Amino acid sequence: MADWNTLQIVFAERAAVTADDQQELSDYRRDRRRARTQRLLIGLGSVVVLLAAWEIAAVALGDPVILPTVTATVHAFFHYFTHPYPAQAPPLWWDVVVSLRRILIGFVIGVVLGVALGAAMFANRVIRHAIDPIIEIIRPLPPLAFIPPLIVWFGIGELPKEVLLVFGVVPVMTIATLAALGEVPEDLRLCARTLGATRRYTLLHVQLRSALPAIIIGMRISMAGAWTSIVAAEMLAATSGIGYLISEAGDYLNMSIVFAGIITIAVIGLILDALLRGLLLIADPSRRS
Amino acid sequence: MTAEPAGRPTQGQEPAHVSIRGVGKTFRRGGRRTVALAGASLDVGAGELVCLLGPSGCGKSTLLRIVAGALATDEGEVTVNGQRVDGPSPDRGMLFQSPLLFPWLTTKKNVLFGPLAQRAAGLHERDDPVLDADADEILATVGLGGFGDAFPHELSGGMRHRAAFARALATRPSLLLMDEPFGALDAITRSRMHEFLIKVREQYQTTIIFVTHDIEEAVLLGDRVAVMGGRPPGIRHVTDVPLAAPRSTLDVDTESFTAVKRKIRASLEE
Repeated sequence: MADWNTLQIVFAERAAVTADDQQELSDYRRDRRRARTQRLLIGLGSVVVLLAAWEIAAVALGDPVILPTVTATVHAFFHYFTHPYPAQAPPLWWDVVVSLRRILIGFVIGVVLGVALGAAMFANRVIRHAIDPIIEIIRPLPPLAFIPPLIVWFGIGELPKEVLLVFGVVPVMTIATLAALGEVPEDLRLCARTLGATRRYTLLHVQLRSALPAIIIGMRISMAGAWTSIVAAEMLAATSGIGYLISEAGDYLNMSIVFAGIITIAVIGLILDALLRGLLLIADPSRRS
Repeated sequence: MTAEPAGRPTQGQEPAHVSIRGVGKTFRRGGRRTVALAGASLDVGAGELVCLLGPSGCGKSTLLRIVAGALATDEGEVTVNGQRVDGPSPDRGMLFQSPLLFPWLTTKKNVLFGPLAQRAAGLHERDDPVLDADADEILATVGLGGFGDAFPHELSGGMRHRAAFARALATRPSLLLMDEPFGALDAITRSRMHEFLIKVREQYQTTIIFVTHDIEEAVLLGDRVAVMGGRPPGIRHVTDVPLAAPRSTLDVDTESFTAVKRKIRASLEE
């Protein structure tokens, strides 16, 4: 019978090679860290240039109704973050909370439904052929086209906004999940099975797990769409939220507040996307640096 | 025979005897029938390495997948240690052309995948420290001792293949099925993997069925070479490799080695 332990002695000679490999690994990691720092610095520089150009243009134009300065916008942001606009309304931070709550509820429901639907379509041919045309019909429609009927059906409360978000998120997530599961190599499944995994264990720990990074990329795409939909819905039919604030301030040509609202949207969008990117790094180690 | 250390898996330690009896497989796609394999018979002895050699479409991968239990036969049957094959089993490990490591797991967790999946399926009840120690030992064995925490994308091509090897060995298979495992490697790394495989075999006497389309690789590694091909595809000849074992990659230029190669090349042309 084979003696497992003596194999190590056979490979003792490999120690020198391993030391080289180890050096190679730490070099590789250092290079990736450097590339990452560089990328961040270049990105930061370009944002600074953009803000400087805006400030110069605003000062040159000299008309705060056409373009407020960066300083006026930042001032408006901090002032109205805690003070209400218009006078009887809640402050900006409350609008942020309202919009975020709508986004998160609609997005989470949409993602759960989309992933479940995509997985069901992957696992079952009848479900796939039944759902596929419906998804293909809904997918190219702009969710905003549904705002008027949604108002008629559900009024201007929270429900029509959640439904609007779910409408936008589900097709993207369904297609992303179905495609991601289809991309998992057949041999990876076989590999797990020859290692002793049951079918169920393989589906959860190998196929869905392997599809996870692509599913998270689908979440990033649908998050951007959801954010667009919700702000538009708030501008058209709402009495709260960031979209409502922008629309109100715009009616009174109060551009520094409009821009403060736009910047708020940008910052929240960046934060939500950064969270999803963080999730992607957790799910896919090859993207880490 | 030495006593097994406590808590160590003992299953699959004895190399398997494989018996392939009149195996045939026909694929049906869009009303068209393609015979992928017909009447293949082969016996592989315990601890033997048999190479399945032939061009693309000769049925060698189909046969390997049937032995793995990934494909069902239309005719004939395959038994491993007298047991009929009817699905994948951790007793029959498989290695592919791509290492197919799980990219979201570290090298060590890749090695632990099999033991943990088997524990989840209720096949054993060894606890984490035992499995952990075993994984460390296997990684040291394949020369990846310091790389347990590295992710697959951080490893070189050869290291990935050794990691895949470690993962397959962790379930202590009595039979290893290798499907052109080094086909995508550069010539030098490939040569190193050959030396690696030869050394693993010196110590760990598992039975191996090795699929390749490279005559030199077949002669270097195989105890016997089964030449496949023809219409319908099947096993044409089985040739003994009459060279002293274990061989080294330096032997490939010797006259006797070349003579065996020539003989097999001729049987491929028939």
